[in-house]
Amino acid sequence: MSPITPELKARFEKIVARYPKGQEQSAVIPLLHALQESGGGHLTTEHQQAVADFLGVPMSKVHEVTTFYTMFSLKPRGRHHISVCRTLPCALCGCGDVAKAVRERLGVGPGEVTADGMFSYEEVECLAQCHLGPVFQIGDTVYGDLTADKAKAVIDGLAKQGGR
Amino acid sequence: MEPTPKYLTRNFGNPAALTYDGYVAGGGYAALKKALGMAPQAVIDLVKAGNLRGRGGAGFPAGVKWGFLAKGDGPKYLCVNADEGEPGTVKDGPLMEQDPHQMLEGIAIACYALGIHQSYIYIRGEFHKAIRIVEAAVEEAYAKGVFGPSMSGSGFALDVAVHPGAGAYICGEETGLLSSLEGKKGMPKLKPPFPAVKGLYDRPTIVNNVETLACVPHILNLGAEAWNALGTEKNGGTKLYNVCGHVLRPGYHELRHDVTLRQLIYDVCGGMKPGRTLKAVVPGGSSSPILLPSEIDVRMDFDSLAKAGSMLGSAAVIVMDDRTSIVRALDNLLHFYSHESCGQCTPCREGTHWLYEISQRIVDGRGRPGDLDRMLDICTNMVGNTICVLADAAALPTQSYIQKFRGEFEDYIRAGERRGLLGGIEGKAVAHA
Ligand SMILES: Cc1cc2nc3c(=O)[nH]c(=O)nc-3n(C[C@H](O)[C@H](O)[C@H](O)COP(=O)(O)O)c2cc1C
Ligand code: SF4
Ligand code: FES
Repeated sequence: MSPITPELKARFEKIVARYPKGQEQSAVIPLLHALQESGGGHLTTEHQQAVADFLGVPMSKVHEVTTFYTMFSLKPRGRHHISVCRTLPCALCGCGDVAKAVRERLGVGPGEVTADGMFSYEEVECLAQCHLGPVFQIGDTVYGDLTADKAKAVIDGLAKQGGR
Repeated sequence: MEPTPKYLTRNFGNPAALTYDGYVAGGGYAALKKALGMAPQAVIDLVKAGNLRGRGGAGFPAGVKWGFLAKGDGPKYLCVNADEGEPGTVKDGPLMEQDPHQMLEGIAIACYALGIHQSYIYIRGEFHKAIRIVEAAVEEAYAKGVFGPSMSGSGFALDVAVHPGAGAYICGEETGLLSSLEGKKGMPKLKPPFPAVKGLYDRPTIVNNVETLACVPHILNLGAEAWNALGTEKNGGTKLYNVCGHVLRPGYHELRHDVTLRQLIYDVCGGMKPGRTLKAVVPGGSSSPILLPSEIDVRMDFDSLAKAGSMLGSAAVIVMDDRTSIVRALDNLLHFYSHESCGQCTPCREGTHWLYEISQRIVDGRGRPGDLDRMLDICTNMVGNTICVLADAAALPTQSYIQKFRGEFEDYIRAGERRGLLGGIEGKAVAHA
């Protein structure tokens, strides 16, 4: 079954219409984002093939894009994917302590998912919120001025909430 | 310090300005109306006269770049660089989240002046909120007839669309951005040809930063002379600066272009945290060479910082206090550049990798005599030998950190001495997923 639901198809068509005729490949990134969001946080081979077929672009081109950009994941992620910033401005403000606290609280390392599937963890480069450092991003939300305790409290709060 | 009148940030903190009506109530879209009453070339000349320097990092005069756009029939494009990713930089995100119509007005004026009928706003993928806000503003601009078949009733057609990135610093480089917009890996391309001649879909293209375009309405409203008076010679207008690191009050501020680095740190941001002193400062994002405390009486404009041996870049100031290990600070940045190199040029791919390898062994206390000269040698081979300037962006800071803090590096190597903190980050840089 195609992962492209009728709703997604309508969304896809609107996205493709932004680009000139013959330049459908431009829609690869926005389409992959839409599929990754609706498809549970990672991209399968079927997802990539569906984008390739929809746009009439070779699968290899789609796969190249999937692997080049850090926001796309080929492996399942947790319901809450935590991206801790590791770059200099955050490092000056103590992101090492935050990263350590998060790893300890979750019991996972970079690229790993907790056993219950609730959280995944990653260390990323500058999130352009440096004046709030240390920061991490979970979904759409950026949390700033973190300390080890604040970071754990955020995770505890999400764990209590359960689902998405 | 003279207080700065607010232009770019005049709507910050006013949620009403997110809507078309709210923006218009504050005087918005008046500049577009004015532009539409002028000849396109007159608009370009005005921006030239306003000495608007590109806010994306290179400081290239926007009006001059616009003058390079190839003439002739067929599609041309304006691509807005909203990929904000230079470590330390926080300005384009706030500009989009707090006043999206200001950028859209700048886009509309630029497209009219340049005879461009299609613009893409390339927004960094992680900026979910900015993407949402700008998409909503674009939709409203269509509904109000600003965009569409007849821009504000002028008969000039303009289409504008948001395009998200997906996490790659190199897509901030203008030709990398265009590759990414074409649905490919974000690989930069050799210049010339410059995008103004052969850019998106091989068509003439202007790439401008968000802040550059946000300045445009104000030049029309104020006139070139008043706009120039806010800055220094050849650096017109106000500027958004972000200060981060070890100052008392980190944050972004719109200030006159003639503010000095000392004023920015001590007057605007409250100086160093209690009991600490300044050790070093990066004035223009991580790619700019480092400055010593004796070098901070410099004006924060493109030419003054170039004269001081550094660069204004993205005007992102990273402040380091006396407890900072410069060795580890450099190590952190070398991880960044080796991770972000797109890999297509050998001097960059291998150079950033070797620099980070050597740096890691120094940090681990396994540094060898000759390592610093080895690093400087690698830098020499990187600068000017690659397709884009990411290689230079890694090499120039490396040279400056080593040259200005050579003693600290040598101590570290000689004694394996782990002196100084980097705010708690462990000696071994955190691994990457
Ligand atoms: C490695 C690299 C990263 C860059 N990142 C950005 C960026 O995130 N945002 C930006 O506006 N310009 C960035 N630039 C500069 C762009 O290449 C280009 O100069 C700019 O978009 C031109 O716009 P302006 O003339 O309005 O400044 C980067 C350049 C390089 C070499
Ligand atoms: S200099 Fe580096 S980042 Fe730029 S094109 Fe070459 S390999 Fe890619
Ligand atoms: S360094 Fe962490 S947000 Fe910029």
